[in-house]
Amino acid sequence: MELEAARILGKLIGAGLAMIGAIGAGAGIGIVTSGAVQAMGRNPDASGNIQTNMILGIAFAEAVAIYCLVVALLILFVF
Amino acid sequence: MEETKKKGWRWGVNRWFVLLFIVLGYFAARAYPPIQPHVQLPAERLSHTPLFTLPVIGEFYLTNTLVALLLVDLIVILIALAVRRGASRGTLVLSGMAAAVEALLEAIYNITETTAGKRARQIFPWFATITLMVLVANWMELIPGVDSIGWLEHSEHGYAVKELFGNVATIVKSEAEHGEGGFVVVPFVRVVSTDLNFTVALALLSVFFTQIIGIKALGGHYFSKFWNTKTLFSKPIFGVIDFAVGLLEIISEISKILSFSFRLFGNIFAGSVLLFVIGSLVPVFAQSAFLLLEFFVGLIQAIVFGMLTMTFMAQAAQGHGEHHEEAHA
Repeated sequence: MELEAARILGKLIGAGLAMIGAIGAGAGIGIVTSGAVQAMGRNPDASGNIQTNMILGIAFAEAVAIYCLVVALLILFVF
Repeated sequence: MEETKKKGWRWGVNRWFVLLFIVLGYFAARAYPPIQPHVQLPAERLSHTPLFTLPVIGEFYLTNTLVALLLVDLIVILIALAVRRGASRGTLVLSGMAAAVEALLEAIYNITETTAGKRARQIFPWFATITLMVLVANWMELIPGVDSIGWLEHSEHGYAVKELFGNVATIVKSEAEHGEGGFVVVPFVRVVSTDLNFTVALALLSVFFTQIIGIKALGGHYFSKFWNTKTLFSKPIFGVIDFAVGLLEIISEISKILSFSFRLFGNIFAGSVLLFVIGSLVPVFAQSAFLLLEFFVGLIQAIVFGMLTMTFMAQAAQGHGEHHEEAHA
């Protein structure tokens, strides 16, 4: 039972550590959105085009966080 | 002027329904305390004998995500039939389901046209198909009963079972049974986007047909993107760099598959786990806010999947030379 407890402890700590990678994605999404909102404020006519590109940029930045999330989920529920 | 029928918004009725459901939810949560369900990454098998066996790949079981995929297909076909009926009515302004689908497709077509230009007609069907299908698949997790109604199966970390009526039973929280095994629910329907097989299949289709569209547009010239020997001998140093960049393009195509499949899978699986956890922590009312969040996440992920496919296809279809022409024009 000691070994089982240690295994669970390791799983939980590992999943928590894996999610550290979400820091970068959070900052990245913030930067993308701030840039896009500023651009929309300066040039409201182009906001449709900017919005499309903003969502694409957010999707790319978010993908990194999603990798972390998948790794954390794998650690928690598979191993 | 078209005559518009105005249905009065029935404030006096609807708010009492909301209140009634909150109170009902409260008493239901008191009677049967919610349990955090057993979370499993691979799809659960509904049949214990394989449906059929393929020689190399292995055995195929009826999984609950497969049931969800068939339901998604059915819903998409029903939507298509409803739109067909609405469109053949002959009115200039569509209404109901046909109008909603028209608005969605028009928005998608406009995005495609600004990005892909004259190839919009070729690329638009991919964007629309993927978006519509993933959208229906994602929104299925908002339906009550998905992920929660199913067969009881014996498990090591299960819960006790309480008969409700007839053959219907529910699992209840009991710590005494916990050590020696109990039952977990194997749901009939689980959202298909929470199965990695579905998302990888969609990603493979998307990346494969990106190559096909690139080859159709540029012919054999398309492969010089990957195996770039044009400048290898004429400009020694930059030629080598161009060649290495070409090799990196191959890796980038492969990483697209990974990124596509993990993005959709991670978002929707994490969303459903979030709904489980919130539902078991705060059973009354709190889940509504998270259902709204999941509504938006499902919509955005569906559009992002389609939009990235469209962008990659548009990039593949325009070669380097053509790109400069368009830039000058």
